[in-house]
Amino acid sequence: MGCSNSASPAYGEMSWFCCGAAWGPCGSAGGGACGTCNSGSHQCAWPHASDACYNITQPYACGHNLALRGCGHVFYVTNRCNGSCVSASVADCGPNTHQFCGESHCCGSTCGTDRLIDLTPSAFSAIASLSSGLLPCRIDS
Amino acid sequence: MDAMDRRRLLTSAVLGTAGLATATALGPLSPEPAHASPALPATEPVVEDPNFAEGRITGISGTMLLVTGSDTVLHRIRVTNGTSIWKLYPTTFDAVDVGDGLYARGVRMADGTLAADSLWVNIVSMSVQITAIGNGWLHLDHDNKRIVGRVVPGRTAAVYRDAPTTGDLSKLRVGRHAHIIGAWRPDTNEVDLATVYAGTVAG
Repeated sequence: MGCSNSASPAYGEMSWFCCGAAWGPCGSAGGGACGTCNSGSHQCAWPHASDACYNITQPYACGHNLALRGCGHVFYVTNRCNGSCVSASVADCGPNTHQFCGESHCCGSTCGTDRLIDLTPSAFSAIASLSSGLLPCRIDS
Repeated sequence: MDAMDRRRLLTSAVLGTAGLATATALGPLSPEPAHASPALPATEPVVEDPNFAEGRITGISGTMLLVTGSDTVLHRIRVTNGTSIWKLYPTTFDAVDVGDGLYARGVRMADGTLAADSLWVNIVSMSVQITAIGNGWLHLDHDNKRIVGRVVPGRTAAVYRDAPTTGDLSKLRVGRHAHIIGAWRPDTNEVDLATVYAGTVAG
């Protein structure tokens, strides 16, 4: 499996977050839920990293039935604005999808709705500008 | 839940110590032992991206940035005429200061320097909850830490759900969850707000 070739991809929004050793407001971020998260590595936060995580992030409240994928599982995330793709392994629980139900961002006619994945700065910057904030994405497993 | 540190809660959730699942071992782990879910082992080693760097600028020598990574690794980052630089706005090299934090992406050269394609200076991306709104500022809670978000006239914008970006911040409400992109101020620890993505009101 790899970019854009799995049978049942998820579509939504992606953002980025810092973890591990960091500066500024991120200075106390820590190693994430899996204890291995590092801003300089290609990693991600996934709302269904465990059943307990799922109960916090509640993507089902926005109509998303996301697969359970624990620490170390590798996703392939495609920026639907430019087609660039990066692999990222699960290192944290998040984002809190239910807090942003219905949120949508578009590039022209290509839109992503609901926040489904957060990437580390190194992973996000491999496929988009960090200043983009939120972008529509495709997630393959 | 509001009183709990979100990061600790999420950590304990995955580690199975939040009262929702039983504890398990550290490392690549099966995070759902209480639910008899199969272990999901790592399929790829976690490695640092050689073409990426982060840290605080400790010196500037010509067009070379000397950066101390948050993990104490030293980076030399070469800025060229083709390097795009963001510091709240798209900007130029003369806006970059010693003490700034940064993320950089480029190409690692044979001598170990990073030839930068992009620099994002002091940029932060955080999920927060709005705790107070004043004239020109927002008080934000991020993992139980208060952050002062400064509204920058002509720059700070809001996005409400699926609506286009707007300069109208009047629909922001105390209690609302939000995600912010902004530029950290090293001298005051405040954040100049670029974009506030407004979510739901906590209930």
